[in-house]
Amino acid sequence: MENVVASSRKKQGHVCRECHRVVEGEACAVCGSGNLSTDWTGYLVIIDPERSEISKKMNIKLPGKYALKVR
Amino acid sequence: MNMPEQTNRIFAIKTTSKQERTVADNIKKVIDNGDSDVKVLAIIVPQELKGYVLVETSEQMNRIEQLVEKVPHARVVLHGETTLAEVAHFLVPKPVVSGISEGTIVEMIAGPFKGEKAVVKRIDTGKEEITVELYESVLPIPITIRGDNVRVIDKGEDR
Repeated sequence: MENVVASSRKKQGHVCRECHRVVEGEACAVCGSGNLSTDWTGYLVIIDPERSEISKKMNIKLPGKYALKVR
Repeated sequence: MNMPEQTNRIFAIKTTSKQERTVADNIKKVIDNGDSDVKVLAIIVPQELKGYVLVETSEQMNRIEQLVEKVPHARVVLHGETTLAEVAHFLVPKPVVSGISEGTIVEMIAGPFKGEKAVVKRIDTGKEEITVELYESVLPIPITIRGDNVRVIDKGEDR
């Protein structure tokens, strides 16, 4: 029964409230903050922050996965 | 003579319904694994744009079409490219309470009062919460709910 509940729930990872990075585990690997949220929308994947105009606009220096909006 | 600075293009990729985030992850996976040498710089999955992901690249459209063939759940690249200026508003999502003001009549779309109509009494923009009073209730009980749990019915046209 527990498996049924777990599989029906939408997969929503944790996002650091400080840097908006999608993190795995209990704390953000980049800023070390434990202030995480599962209530977030919008998704941004930065692959090449050096040349991406989007990362410059968002002021993101590291590649990775980010949320656009965190509550 | 100055060489023109290389500008990045943004293409929209159509995806299977509700698989937008999966497609973004899959594109990253394909590139990280070296299965494709297409240079993708960033991928945006806006909440407002259902069924599409936006890809920032320095390559031509035919190269993105090659990439899409290798990405599960990605269907087709839309013809035509766009610029950052046109999609920049997706990067800064506006608060969900932005279209709501005091006196607005809303319908609750989630929670225990789902389907009930209510009048907005107070708005907390920071927390994105609104305080409403049920329309048909005899006693005016204020209820605080999330701004995205309501649908605006009437903004009040006396302005």
